[in-house]
Amino acid sequence: MDADDASPAEMRRRPDPHADPLALDEETAERLLAGQLSPAQAPPRYAEVAALLAAAAAPPTPEELAGKAAALAELRAVTHAHAAIPRRAARPAQRRRVGLVAAVVAGALVTGGVAGAATGHLPGPVRDAARSILSTVGGAEPATPVTSGPASTPRASTPGSAGAGQGPASTGATGRGPGTTGAAAAANPNLEKLCRAYLAGEGAEQGGKLDAAAFEALARAAGGKERISTYCETVQPKESKPKKHQQPAPPDDPGPGQGPGGPSPSSSGDNNGQGDPQADRP
Amino acid sequence: MIGPEFPAVLGAAARGDEEAFGRLWHDLQPRLLRYFMVAVPTAAEDLASETWLAVVRGLDRFRGNEPAFRAWVFTIARHEVLDWRRRAARRVTEAVTMNGLPEQAAPDDPAAAALEDLSTRAALAVVATLPPDQAEAIVLRVVAGLGVDQVAGIMGKRPGTVRVLTHRGLRRLAERLGADRIWGVV
Repeated sequence: MDADDASPAEMRRRPDPHADPLALDEETAERLLAGQLSPAQAPPRYAEVAALLAAAAAPPTPEELAGKAAALAELRAVTHAHAAIPRRAARPAQRRRVGLVAAVVAGALVTGGVAGAATGHLPGPVRDAARSILSTVGGAEPATPVTSGPASTPRASTPGSAGAGQGPASTGATGRGPGTTGAAAAANPNLEKLCRAYLAGEGAEQGGKLDAAAFEALARAAGGKERISTYCETVQPKESKPKKHQQPAPPDDPGPGQGPGGPSPSSSGDNNGQGDPQADRP
Repeated sequence: MIGPEFPAVLGAAARGDEEAFGRLWHDLQPRLLRYFMVAVPTAAEDLASETWLAVVRGLDRFRGNEPAFRAWVFTIARHEVLDWRRRAARRVTEAVTMNGLPEQAAPDDPAAAALEDLSTRAALAVVATLPPDQAEAIVLRVVAGLGVDQVAGIMGKRPGTVRVLTHRGLRRLAERLGADRIWGVV
């Protein structure tokens, strides 16, 4: 039982300003919430509230929109990951982590302009791209190729097939890729994500927690797989360390399963009876 | 709001079109951040990021118009908040109190701060001083731009309950801000 249900009557009472200076009828409340009352138009005791709500719904600040590039990169990564790592991504318990790892791997795929990753092996240009990105962070030896197969052991590197001198990003097919200079900027967020994924699996067998290729990449950045923990402590921002990824993904992942089963046009489309009073608000 | 172009934008975004996805993001990211600023201010950026990951993964399966899409995104956002709180509850080594979360974000006197400088952040900090249900209902209405029925669906409450929550929240805000005025804080 919801105690709040007990008193919708408090809104239906005809407001008596003399008895209750804060009386607020439902229509006025609705208009306040919809941003339709300026402080001057609002009831006297609600002028500040109107100003407050207007500030809360103010147009976006540049700060709020600063993450757009990263969000687009994430879209790119996840979109490609759908094609690249379908089997693993399909396992709900791993979805969250795989998404992060896939973001890094698929980001490298895009950077290298390579589309065909369906074999499960990282093509040479991708390895080179990953190596180049990681080498900008320090600790890695750019001359040694990153290992290839995700299913192989982390140290089973296969030199010779890599073409070590090959540039990573070049211009890519789209011209949108970060290129060699952008690689440095992209390195930290990627490693941060890898570290998050790694730390999420800490205490367990790492090989089972991180995709082997991603693990290898992380090991290279750290200067050895035994140093990953230490390395990740430094890469992880302080406040993000105790974050969610130390816990397994919840069973009720609100992700795709939530999709069409949730709000549908028939259940929540235009049925609020108010259209969108805030169409011109942020 | 994206408006009449929404179906085309959604379709393109679901196919991986970055410009289209960017429009969805541009429209909803500030609202998401503000919602999280009130619900879990210490993790707002992260939770927004997680929400978008889930949105991207479910994008090609979503069917519905723009209000439904917005409600769907905020349904995911709310799950992120609940998950975060569940994990916070398990992190016994950390001194995180469940119920104290919104209050923790508030500056010393958020109401005064908000009225001196009506920044969005300060305004949200004031809203966050409300009881969590009231704060959430108000943010979903005002910031997310959702209707009563949509908010009710997202919060798992009846529309009448949502109306009561927002009404009480508005009253409490008026009390709080009015008290500051009377006592000469502003």
